[in-house]
Amino acid sequence: MKNTFIGNAILAIVLVACNNVNEKTNTVRSDSSVLQQQTGKSASTAIASIKGIVAGYLQLKNALSNDNGNDAANAGKAITGALQNFDTAALKPDQKKVYADVQDDIKEHAEHIGMNADKIAHQREHFEMLSKDIYDLVKAFPAEQTLYKDYCPMYNNGKGAIWLSETKEIKNPYLGKKMPTCGEIKEEIK
Amino acid sequence: MRLGKKIVILLPVAFAAIQFIQPARNKSGQVMPTDISNTLNIPPLVDTLLKTSCYDCHSNNTNYPWYANLQPLGWILNKHILKAKMELNFSDFGSYSSRRQRSKLKSIASQVNDNTMPLASYTWLHKNSKFSKEAKALINDWALKSIETIATGNKK
Ligand code: HEC
Repeated sequence: MKNTFIGNAILAIVLVACNNVNEKTNTVRSDSSVLQQQTGKSASTAIASIKGIVAGYLQLKNALSNDNGNDAANAGKAITGALQNFDTAALKPDQKKVYADVQDDIKEHAEHIGMNADKIAHQREHFEMLSKDIYDLVKAFPAEQTLYKDYCPMYNNGKGAIWLSETKEIKNPYLGKKMPTCGEIKEEIK
Repeated sequence: MRLGKKIVILLPVAFAAIQFIQPARNKSGQVMPTDISNTLNIPPLVDTLLKTSCYDCHSNNTNYPWYANLQPLGWILNKHILKAKMELNFSDFGSYSSRRQRSKLKSIASQVNDNTMPLASYTWLHKNSKFSKEAKALINDWALKSIETIATGNKK
């Protein structure tokens, strides 16, 4: 009898632990819907909205440069919110094509980064892929601010990775405070 | 009756009762046109590794283990399957955009290299699903090579 009791207690704990996972994803969802309400009014044109995506991305980049997974997660949620408000009606056909291509990918990376505040290495993996998406997106739209495409050859076991920055100064988001100055400007986008 | 005694009696009853709640099965029994095997070249060895270690959660066909009938273990498995398929479904791979396919392959390589996938709870119950160093290298090489073929448009 004692054994069954212990067995059941273990099962109960497993069940509770499992439910926690669910609650976590739920909070993330309600967070991003709050964001949607907040940003909903301002984002009425397509141009304003890509600004929102880029702003979220830069916020993310700066959080990762500071090794701050929590801020990075919040920036990920900001990007998800900006995507939800993106108005595709005003897009030109070639922009529509680029946007359709990057949209799902950006959304997924942003969601992952938003959900993994405690796993910064994982956030950086998604940030690398996200950076390529944002680069392609930015190139398809008229620039509203000067951006720099930076490259660090050391990340990813020497395979290297790019990111976008709003400043000339190099602050590496992949290696963070361990190696803040690794990288160089490869392109000026304006 | 003391509370402790009540719990001791009631828990097995609850345990028996939940056995009747069985989640729907994830078993389509067919290979979809969008299956990854119709999109990319997969060497037989890699194919076997993926099928043994990933398909139970990341495809439309789960090979149900014995514990799937034992609740709540079956529920946990079911939950993993639902979540895993949202992230990556090998049966649907062909329907992803090229960009997403590349992202997924990259994630596959990094998840396997970091030992995040297959899930530890799964390798614990399925000893043969755990990857050796060689197996990890095989998956890694295949994933990175496939990213190149997608980038250049030389798909299958
Ligand atoms: C027991 C079920 C299970 C098995 C087996 C499994 N996975 Fe997963 N996988 C999951 C779940 C659940 C998630 C969602 C992870 C999360 O949200 O924490 C996931 C997520 C992923 C992701 C997305 C992660 C990301 O960051 O983009 C990849 C890629 C992946 N799995 C690859 C694999 C590969 C490759 C295998 C086989 C070697 C495998 N998985 C085996 C359950 C499983």
